[in-house]
Amino acid sequence: MLKVMLQKIWHKKWMVICLLLGSILLIATVVSFPLYRNASYDRMLVDEFDDYLAEKGEWPAMLKFMIMVQKDKNGETIGKMEKTLNELDGVLGVTGKEKVFYYSLSRAELASTTGRSDVDADGLRLGFMSGLPEHAKIISGRMFCDGGMDENGVIEVVVSQECLINNNLLVGETLEFLYMADKKGSPFRIKVVGVFEEQDSTDFYWQVRPSSLGIVALTDEQLFRDTFLGERAEKYTITCYYYDLFNYEDVTAVTANNLYDKTVYYQEQSGVKSTMSAPVYREIMERYFAKRTRIEATLFILQVPVLVLLGAFLFMISGQMYDMERNEISVMKSRGGSSAQMLRLYLYQSIFLAVIGAAGGIPLGAQFCKLLGSTQNFLEFNVRRRLNVTFDATVWKFAAGAMLACVLIMTIPALKHSRLTIVKLKQSNALKKSALWEKLFLDVILLGISLYGYYNYSKNKEMMVMSVMEGQSLDPLLYLSSSLFIVGMGLLFLRLQPWVIRLVYLLGKRFWRPASYAAFMENVKNGRKQQFIMLFMILTISLGMYHAVVARTILQNAKENEEYLVGSDILIKEVWTKTPSNSSNPNAGGPAFIEPDYRKYSSMPDVEAYTKVYSDASASFKTKDKGQMGCTLLAIQTKEYGLITDVSEEITEKAYRLYLNELATEPKGVLASSNLRDSLGFKIGDEVAYKDKYGTTIEAKIIDFFDYWPGYQPTSLVTGADGTAQKQTNTLLVANLATVQKKIGVYPYEIWAKLKPGCDSTNVYAWIRENDVHVNKFRDKAREMEQVVRDPLLQGTNGVLTMGFIVTIILCAVGYLIYWIMSIRSREMVFGVLRACGMHKGELFHMLIDEQLFSGVLSIFAGIGIGTLTSRMFVPMLQMAYAASNQVLPMKLIVNQTDMNRLYVVIAGVMATCLLTLLILVLKLNVTKALKLGEE
Amino acid sequence: MGENANYIIEIQNVGRTFNTASGPFQALKSVNASIPEGVLTILKGRSGSGKTTLLNIVGALDQPTTGRVIIEGQDVSRLNDYQRETLRRKKIGFVFQSVSLIPTMNAFQNVEFSMRMAGVKGDHKKRVEECLKMVGLGSRMHHMPSEMSGGEQQRVAIARAIAHGPSIILADEPTAELDSAMAAEVTKLFQEMTKKEHITIVMTTHDVGLMDAGDMVIELENGVQISQNAEA
Repeated sequence: MLKVMLQKIWHKKWMVICLLLGSILLIATVVSFPLYRNASYDRMLVDEFDDYLAEKGEWPAMLKFMIMVQKDKNGETIGKMEKTLNELDGVLGVTGKEKVFYYSLSRAELASTTGRSDVDADGLRLGFMSGLPEHAKIISGRMFCDGGMDENGVIEVVVSQECLINNNLLVGETLEFLYMADKKGSPFRIKVVGVFEEQDSTDFYWQVRPSSLGIVALTDEQLFRDTFLGERAEKYTITCYYYDLFNYEDVTAVTANNLYDKTVYYQEQSGVKSTMSAPVYREIMERYFAKRTRIEATLFILQVPVLVLLGAFLFMISGQMYDMERNEISVMKSRGGSSAQMLRLYLYQSIFLAVIGAAGGIPLGAQFCKLLGSTQNFLEFNVRRRLNVTFDATVWKFAAGAMLACVLIMTIPALKHSRLTIVKLKQSNALKKSALWEKLFLDVILLGISLYGYYNYSKNKEMMVMSVMEGQSLDPLLYLSSSLFIVGMGLLFLRLQPWVIRLVYLLGKRFWRPASYAAFMENVKNGRKQQFIMLFMILTISLGMYHAVVARTILQNAKENEEYLVGSDILIKEVWTKTPSNSSNPNAGGPAFIEPDYRKYSSMPDVEAYTKVYSDASASFKTKDKGQMGCTLLAIQTKEYGLITDVSEEITEKAYRLYLNELATEPKGVLASSNLRDSLGFKIGDEVAYKDKYGTTIEAKIIDFFDYWPGYQPTSLVTGADGTAQKQTNTLLVANLATVQKKIGVYPYEIWAKLKPGCDSTNVYAWIRENDVHVNKFRDKAREMEQVVRDPLLQGTNGVLTMGFIVTIILCAVGYLIYWIMSIRSREMVFGVLRACGMHKGELFHMLIDEQLFSGVLSIFAGIGIGTLTSRMFVPMLQMAYAASNQVLPMKLIVNQTDMNRLYVVIAGVMATCLLTLLILVLKLNVTKALKLGEE
Repeated sequence: MGENANYIIEIQNVGRTFNTASGPFQALKSVNASIPEGVLTILKGRSGSGKTTLLNIVGALDQPTTGRVIIEGQDVSRLNDYQRETLRRKKIGFVFQSVSLIPTMNAFQNVEFSMRMAGVKGDHKKRVEECLKMVGLGSRMHHMPSEMSGGEQQRVAIARAIAHGPSIILADEPTAELDSAMAAEVTKLFQEMTKKEHITIVMTTHDVGLMDAGDMVIELENGVQISQNAEA
């Protein structure tokens, strides 16, 4: 059996190579999904942690416990806690970064042994902080000695500066506890040997800052343990703090689940739950999990059409192969081979192919995954950004599933053929019937469903935006609608195509040259056989186009939106210090500040222009009938602001510069967001009184209304306490900086700058460091744009679509070529007849080109048309699913001509290869051989 | 030019050698024959005697290794591919042993196609119907080849071979797949056609029963012409 199979495979090597290609691509695509998912989730989680760290300056991956123990018999409670703590990292499945134990006794009164009486009478807490000598810097005196006790039995301690000052201590002084004695009954004595502070203030070891250790004297850990813990613990009240910091960089998508579950367990069920503080990372992880679900669902939905195409490809090629083997099968059957035997033969063959497919597909999947992770834009890769590929159980499960699917898809067509005998074959050859889908009106049904979906969604756009805001993933039904639309349109085209061909044929019936005539007859009679490959072409092309447009549109809109929201290339807000309270306050209502030197900005490198912008988000204005209403006040220097910012003219009522000109010529005027006009009844020329956050009122005249302003969000969605999204209208007033400053004084303003073309912010950063500019807020547009691109959902979408596009193109090329070559080969006999009747080679070629024109070329055009139509209809809705929360700009459909050209080039290449193959075939065609004439 | 203008086909010293895996194989050795216009010639011989090879050479489907074939005074071996193809589509009609209809066309269209190929002007429909009636298939004109029996298909092929009014019909074992009654009928049809349409027909057969039907018989054995008996 094995030999028969291998012979068969060798005999049909081209088909087998195609099947292998299909299996490899299918398995690779399936496997890349969990691989990419895991890898990008790893990165996403780390990004979430990083963001927290950057924002709050605190190490997020930390668990904190606090316990106060009184009369702890044999130190059991503390022992248990320490055991739990030491096991913690292992249970959580993380690698420890820092573990800090900070124990202290309750405060006890002390007296100086020198008789000095001005020592603070309330006393100190004696304690230890694990690892202190390695992390502390001694600023006076020295660190306590190893073992912590000098030769006189005095406990050496170090204190913080605050403690030294608060308690009026002296370095080198020995103190005696009044009511705390050792085993022998003599009171404990401590000696302050040094004052410490943080060696490195950014060291996360310092969960307890020295500045907060106002009444604590720290000694050696071992000494403390020997003296106050264990058996002796029951005599003291000990407060224990435990800080367990772990490396979040090592948390992967796989270990994250365990980490989260165990954290919840510790927090809610374990014996130590009452001692534990709520860890900040729990919320980070919950946010991450929510995001993850959304991404997972979205990416899966996007991959489905590609998987379906791959399945269809395998199905088609194996069907074609069995068709070629029909004669062999029916002969074997007629000679007594059983159906089961036939089926087993094909099953083995499928398994054989699937195994090789897996061997090639799994490594390719890993490459796909890397490719996905480095996608920068649609069909653009950044090789430096690569994901770590890790194989876990899920990946193998996916691979096994994909293999099984391959085997099934490749064997199912054999089921039909294995029952075939030579008699049935002859009968079936004589039959012609319309396809099942045609009888069922599947095209009409699919179109109906998808259009219903389209109609429903376009009616409920608002609702969709809200649901996305609430964290739901891309609605599968929406994407499904678009896919069904493509399939429905494709089928409809197939239904109409024969009629079009027939019409053209009838129009010129009498005049067709023999070549065209034969081609028409072939298409009219045999066209049905080509429906599958035609549908396949239509689907690949239209899906390819659709995906290209989806990817481009989503990314481009997100980028443009971000660009709009950020406003300027660089935003710097310095730290302003308040003027000493006794000096006179030039400001009207609020505190007075010392304005930093503005002139220094002229030395900022790589900057084309910069300006002052004063922004007050807590301003308000008096409405006509609804009282005071909150708004944002933006005070600008019109000329410079105009150089730095821009708003596309496509979306504004009039050119953005005109607004700035109006403001420049009317110093006391304000530009107002259009909601003032649309919902509050203001008109141009109306007076409006607005107040800054300190309550100073400014009277101004409205000179114009705008819909868009750099950084201005007309409405924003806020997530309420119950998790539902609500729409909020934002109002913006734009005034002249000089006018505003004259009225209210000079408050901390921002510097907005525009970089010279081709420059990035590197030199600006360096300038800030060199000039020691204390920055309170810094925004770098390029970096924020990069973050948009790096967003796992966007990047994943881009990656999946790019990969889908590439796979589609390969399939389209190989599928079409193979189909054509095979079907042409099977018609050699007819070509022989035509040639014998005197048809020239050129005419034969002409006939084949005509046939291609009727099926292939028509399908290509249909694919392009359907792709364009689907993009126009569905992309605007799909896009909403991505950029709903802060999308301000109206959505633009982005059709990148380069993408389309790439698609066209590939198609042209395929068609050219097809033609070349046909040409060779025609030239090589031996009439006598084709007709089996003559002796050989 | 031919020696005698009355001969429509002149076969002069035609030999054909095939290069096979086991060395050169001489299928025809120096065959000579002159066939006058309007006769039914039977090429006779056992399987492998070289009769199909000779027919292919006469029909300009194959080239002789030695010698030449002159059709209507024109040396076929001097023509290029294109001219030979034009000769085939205008002057010659073929009937092959195996099914040779174009499967995507019905009987009518198959026959009409040869007229299209030959560029025949005028009313195709009438001529096609006439030809199909002649082969006794006037009632099955719109059937597809797959809906017809082997004999019916062969008769359509004959109708196709004559429709464009060729001067020569070459038929390779036209009766091989037919029962004897049908075979006789086809042969009778050929005889009628030589008379009515003044067509020259060359057909191969190994059916001894049909030998008498021919006006002229050429017998081949192992590529050698062993007899040629023209009509008395």
